[in-house]
Amino acid sequence: MGILKDMFAALKGAGSEVGEAIIDANAVRILEQEIREAEKAINNARQSLTKLKGSEIRMKREINSLNTDISDYEAKALEALNQGNEELAVKVADRIAEHETDRDEKSAEYEKLSTEVRKINTMIKNRNKVIQKNKRELEKVKTIKELQKTTSSISCNFAATGSSAHRVSKALERVKAKQAKWRDNMEAGDWMVEEENTDDLSKELKEAGIGTRGITGNSVLDRLKEKQRPSA
Amino acid sequence: METTLEDLALDLNTTTTLEGTRFDAVVTDSGVMEVICSNNDEFPIHIAMTDTQILSVTPLFHVKEVQEDKLVELNTLLLQLSPAIPLSSIGLQEGNYILFGAMALNTTFENIVHELEVQAENTLDVLEAVEDLLI
Repeated sequence: MGILKDMFAALKGAGSEVGEAIIDANAVRILEQEIREAEKAINNARQSLTKLKGSEIRMKREINSLNTDISDYEAKALEALNQGNEELAVKVADRIAEHETDRDEKSAEYEKLSTEVRKINTMIKNRNKVIQKNKRELEKVKTIKELQKTTSSISCNFAATGSSAHRVSKALERVKAKQAKWRDNMEAGDWMVEEENTDDLSKELKEAGIGTRGITGNSVLDRLKEKQRPSA
Repeated sequence: METTLEDLALDLNTTTTLEGTRFDAVVTDSGVMEVICSNNDEFPIHIAMTDTQILSVTPLFHVKEVQEDKLVELNTLLLQLSPAIPLSSIGLQEGNYILFGAMALNTTFENIVHELEVQAENTLDVLEAVEDLLI
């Protein structure tokens, strides 16, 4: 069962008391401590795994070396037999037998070691998964804990305002009034800027069509016609 | 360097957004930062930090402030509204309806400012939508 389901089941059982602390701060510390200890254990396991893996590689090398020696001696024993030197061949065969016994013992040990390495590796991977899951769970717990902190101040706020009727509506009205006032001020500001940029006399002259002659297509055409006219 | 609520409060108190919103941020004794946005100064935003997140919570109203026979209608309306609100979600925390947002701890200051400004606006939109169902 996920931690959230657990927590909310507990909350439901407790009758959903306002301000009730679902999360015990101590429980969070314990969970954090558990994660830290599990991480430490994994690190230790990793170190032993490195050593075991080293032994495994070394043993594999020894086995390979023994196998090479065995092949080598086998060739030599055959050569001795071909030469008809039975006595030497028996000596070599004895050596081969020694090597094979040694190799078989080492192989058995190697298999055991390999199984152990695989086991520890799987254990570390599984533990890591658990730790990652625990960390995510802890984050959820902490989120709820932080939300509780914000909620406790919320409860205080509502208590302070007495949760009077139409509290929200009244607050909304106040915000809207402030926003309207802000917009009015902005408009007033724009109007002032426009007013400052045009004085009364300029406005009157503009209205009378005086001083507002700009360059237009017609005025350019008139000017050109004037130029074209032969001078008297 | 790890950002603290105090750092955030200092930065917010000297910030004005392009839309002209200013912030008044205070870290309370309970370790929560209370931010009043000038675009909505009636409904402060409460900010808390976890190891990975910044949580921004705006208390909307208490379940006791809902008209008794309108609770189901309100809950349905809020569930419908929630996906339509940019950056914020609606939740219920110990009897308080809340509007909340969550940001990664390493988010930029600009993103935090944007989130707060939008959340303050969203608060007004949501409350306007449900106003008639409250007492």
